[in-house]
Amino acid sequence: MIYGDKKTGILVQGATGKQGEFHIGLMNNYAREVGGRGVVAGVTPGKGGLQVHGVPVYNTVKEAMGEHDIGASVIFVPAGAAADAIMEEANAGIETIVCITEHIPVHDTMKAIAYATMQGSAVIGPNCPGLLSPGEVKMGIMPAGLFSRGNVGVISRSGTLTYEVVDELTRAGIGQSTVVGIGGDPVIGQTFVDVLKEFENDPQTKAVVLIGEVGGNLEEEGAKCTDLPIVAYIAGISAPPDKRMGHAGAIVEGGEGDARSKIARLKKNGVPVASRPSEIPDMVRKLFCGC
Amino acid sequence: MKLREHEAKMVIREFGIPVPAGFLIRTAAELPAHLDALGDKIVLKAQVDVGGRGKAGGILMADRKSAVETAEELFRKEIKGLPVKEILAEQRLDIQHEYYLSITVDRASKQPLILFTEEGGVDIEITAKENPSAIRRVIANPLMRDLPPFMLRELAGKAPKEIMPIINKLYRVFLEKDALLAEINPLVTTPLGIFAADAKIIVDDNALGRQGFTVNRDLTERECEAEKHGFSYVELDGAIGVIGNGAGLTMSTLDLIEFYGGKAANFLDVGGGAESERVRHAVRLVASVPTVRVIVVNLLGGITKCDEVARGIIDADISQKVIVRLAGTNEAEGRRLLTEKGYEMLPTMDLVVKKAVEVTR
Repeated sequence: MIYGDKKTGILVQGATGKQGEFHIGLMNNYAREVGGRGVVAGVTPGKGGLQVHGVPVYNTVKEAMGEHDIGASVIFVPAGAAADAIMEEANAGIETIVCITEHIPVHDTMKAIAYATMQGSAVIGPNCPGLLSPGEVKMGIMPAGLFSRGNVGVISRSGTLTYEVVDELTRAGIGQSTVVGIGGDPVIGQTFVDVLKEFENDPQTKAVVLIGEVGGNLEEEGAKCTDLPIVAYIAGISAPPDKRMGHAGAIVEGGEGDARSKIARLKKNGVPVASRPSEIPDMVRKLFCGC
Repeated sequence: MKLREHEAKMVIREFGIPVPAGFLIRTAAELPAHLDALGDKIVLKAQVDVGGRGKAGGILMADRKSAVETAEELFRKEIKGLPVKEILAEQRLDIQHEYYLSITVDRASKQPLILFTEEGGVDIEITAKENPSAIRRVIANPLMRDLPPFMLRELAGKAPKEIMPIINKLYRVFLEKDALLAEINPLVTTPLGIFAADAKIIVDDNALGRQGFTVNRDLTERECEAEKHGFSYVELDGAIGVIGNGAGLTMSTLDLIEFYGGKAANFLDVGGGAESERVRHAVRLVASVPTVRVIVVNLLGGITKCDEVARGIIDADISQKVIVRLAGTNEAEGRRLLTEKGYEMLPTMDLVVKKAVEVTR
């Protein structure tokens, strides 16, 4: 597993909001199931002293860090406050920052990520479902019931499409090491390259499923940089140019980032590409048996 | 959202970048009042939201005498099917050399990317392919409000040094206006100095509010309606309506339709935690598209309540066939409700899509 394990203490920013409260509950249910630490502290400015599902809430990240051993955070604050939340956590020294928040202006994201990078933090997202390592830890909003523990890493720009693929893998008896949703925005912290590097150093991960979509070329660039066996899937082959397909980052612009050319470049680099999600499990199985 | 040329020019002028004297007119009769300021040589540019406007006849040259008549001619035209409602009348520049300058968001470095080439005026994509070394590229740190002089020197190369402050001013525009793209093509030298002969700015849709825009003009009427409900919506031209949750899953559903030989009518992402009311709106919206003959609903997720979704579909009560794939909480209850009313619910996305394609054959 990558980006944390059972022993990782998690902080939630936006702990007293509807989303924050709901998902602290689910993350800690999961932590109880697997014997992990889960969410140990929450932060909402001005709400210090409250408790959410028994988790103490602080006014600032630094205060929470003073009281708890924290290695990762999950952000649920509104778009206008999210860049600030990322920077506050990076400043406090949190290693892994997962930002669930959607609709953050790109310029805010660019600044927050530039700052977090200077501070040595890894940002996952924004506009992502977070990550889940079956049997270890859940940081974010992924529905834990679909997952099973195993040797396949999953990296995806999407949320529900990831659940679809994970569900297919689990039904086919293929377990996962860590499933990372890296986010649907044009600018995101950890890209395919970064996550693949983490998977390379993870003894549990033997193969990777890469779920990309139209926009940019980071899937191909990532696949080029790794020795791990990969199966890829690219959504948006039917996406018209210059239209944003739901995700701010899913757009074919200036004739670049369309699915067909992405798929062609992946295949050129020897990466098998599934033409639909239901093909993925068989293709993963082929990677393992080498046939 | 893309700003129109006259808006983009107004923005860059505020930041101190010289633009030609120009006036926005809505009728040819407004033109004579501006002729003294425009001088003898004039260019008339239709303000329509399409690319390749020049080649489509949307830019006409005129002089003082012919200006009103030429404006009348341009107002009568349609540019790629769009009527000309506004014209930007500008002083025509005596161009000596054309440069290209643009600033975009670079996904790989996660930072602003500045491009400058001394071979401006032509299609930048062609230069990028045929002579990539002619394009100078610099990546900036978004935490810096100004570009350091060495970056400006690197970009400008042998171009006149007056170009350097203009590059920095456009960088300020890019940062302060939440731009995804700020472009001057061409940036020109003339005997009167340097001017931005054309300007293009695309503002981040997620920053429209704080940039003072109340509506996103890039959206069609139905896209606006969808936005009101918080849906992402894109219209296509097939017969199969699509409703999904999550952008990736919805896109993948569209692709699967193509895979099985069908054609999607639209992309609609209802977002997370779909309740019956939202689903009802989504189904009605897609059903209102005249080409839609069948609708595929593909919803998956831990917190989606299938009975809520089922109620939404039933309440929408539309005439077209709806084929449903639902997975999540209360799945059995959802299936019971739908089956009772005669709707078809299938267990996988492959099956719902195959079925929908069969129906439209």
